[in-house]
Amino acid sequence: MTESTSFLRFEGVVAGYGGGDVIKGVDFDVPQGGVTCIVGPNGSGKSTLLKTVSGLVRPRLGQLWFKGTPLVGLTPREILKLGIVQVPQNHSLFREMSVQQNVELGAFLVKDKKVIAERLKHVTEIFPIVAERAKDKAGSLSGGQQRLVEFARCLMLEPELVVLDEPSMGLDPKTLRLVFDTIKLMNKVGRTVLLVEQNARQALRMSHYAVVLENGMLRLSGSGKEVLNNPEIGALYLGGSIKETSSIAAPASKEL
Amino acid sequence: MLDGVLTGSVYALMATGLTLIFGVMNIINIAQGILVILGAYLSYTLSVHFGIDLFVGLIITIPTLFVVGVVVERLFMARLKGPERTSMSILVTYAISLIIEGSLNMIYSINVVQLKAWYVDKSFPIFGVYLPYIYLFGFILAVVLLTSLYIMLYRTRFGASIRASLADQVAAALVGINVARVSTICFGLGIAVTAAGGMVYGATNAFNASTSYDLISRLLTIIVLGGMGSLGGALLAAILMVTLGDVVAVVWSPIWSSPTFFFVLVIVLSLRPQGLFGKQSARVA
Repeated sequence: MTESTSFLRFEGVVAGYGGGDVIKGVDFDVPQGGVTCIVGPNGSGKSTLLKTVSGLVRPRLGQLWFKGTPLVGLTPREILKLGIVQVPQNHSLFREMSVQQNVELGAFLVKDKKVIAERLKHVTEIFPIVAERAKDKAGSLSGGQQRLVEFARCLMLEPELVVLDEPSMGLDPKTLRLVFDTIKLMNKVGRTVLLVEQNARQALRMSHYAVVLENGMLRLSGSGKEVLNNPEIGALYLGGSIKETSSIAAPASKEL
Repeated sequence: MLDGVLTGSVYALMATGLTLIFGVMNIINIAQGILVILGAYLSYTLSVHFGIDLFVGLIITIPTLFVVGVVVERLFMARLKGPERTSMSILVTYAISLIIEGSLNMIYSINVVQLKAWYVDKSFPIFGVYLPYIYLFGFILAVVLLTSLYIMLYRTRFGASIRASLADQVAAALVGINVARVSTICFGLGIAVTAAGGMVYGATNAFNASTSYDLISRLLTIIVLGGMGSLGGALLAAILMVTLGDVVAVVWSPIWSSPTFFFVLVIVLSLRPQGLFGKQSARVA
């Protein structure tokens, strides 16, 4: 978990929409095998940063490296093929399609029907709901159930890196716990997880590694515990700002 | 009444193309009307100058219009981006419409023509009335094409990628669907159906390039009533429009057939702004 050979590396990433830059130069490494959490206040650019990974937003400057392959300029489809899947913030199931059809679409890039069936079986073992509600329309599931089906769908490609954008958004505390447990489980079965979370404390508790984003820049990074116990992080979430000199600033990226 | 159901299916075919284009691409294709007429003229040329049967000619006209669709999409539609896409598309497709209309007027003159074949002239008795065979053949054609379209959409991998793009473009891209390619093919398909629609339309009506205005207003009304982007809605609304018009024409007066339909449209839209089968939040930018 701690071997930080460059699995996913952000290198001077600057990105935004239209005129303004939301991400103003971010450098850090996501180590292979663990759960990495990006936290930060609203509008700090967390979601935008994730979108640069999946190819939904193209960085204006900088580069992203995934196991030595540059990602900037690749389409979401090409990035998927490299083994990176993203579950977006908003519910992204196709509501009019059945749960099973949705999950099968997760393997859209796989042509072999046998392989798809095998993976479906495997995914169903982790997510029993896929079998239980197989024929139901995805739109009829509760928010938490939809999240689980989205997770199931994203595993159909057997990705190396799973990118989750606020997976707990809009969920009640009980479902939230289930979703977090599932994320841990996905990690346990061999997926590296990179996630953005608004429920920072809970997310940090299960993260091996964490970075704090503020105003489009990296302000803190360390292990999940270090960031969680940092006295300044509370201030950040109460609307304050971290002072320039942070005691554990960015050990992973030499540039900062 | 009966011919209402029969022609309704042809309108459904043309409207399905329009609603498919809107649903996947958020593009309102004002040129759909003139493309139907283009399809009719292509059939006209093939039958008058080359002696090719109207139905056989579809083997040429359907792929031709598919290519027209693909070219228009690549040249113009793919360049429309951002939140103003839908409104920009109305202007761009209207411009395309005017160019095609002008060209058709120049090539074919403004005199109205009608497609000829034995099944246009000969009639068959059904429920005590005589209907030209073309109504029946056109109906069968529309049913066959619509069925194939539905099988393609609901039973194939490519169809799944279209439906996924219809529902949510970002989510579709994130499972690896090439939304740009799906859009291009959808635009091609949406236009290709006008070849068949145009042939049947041209065989059952006298037309010239200006007929497209009546057509596009009807087609737009159909997809608005059915719910923008809803395929089933387009089917039902098309049959409703034509049948309602015919019933009113028979029991009341032909003068009131169109107004009645628009009256129904206003009522439906005031109760269900998203149309009969539209999604709750209409995705119009």
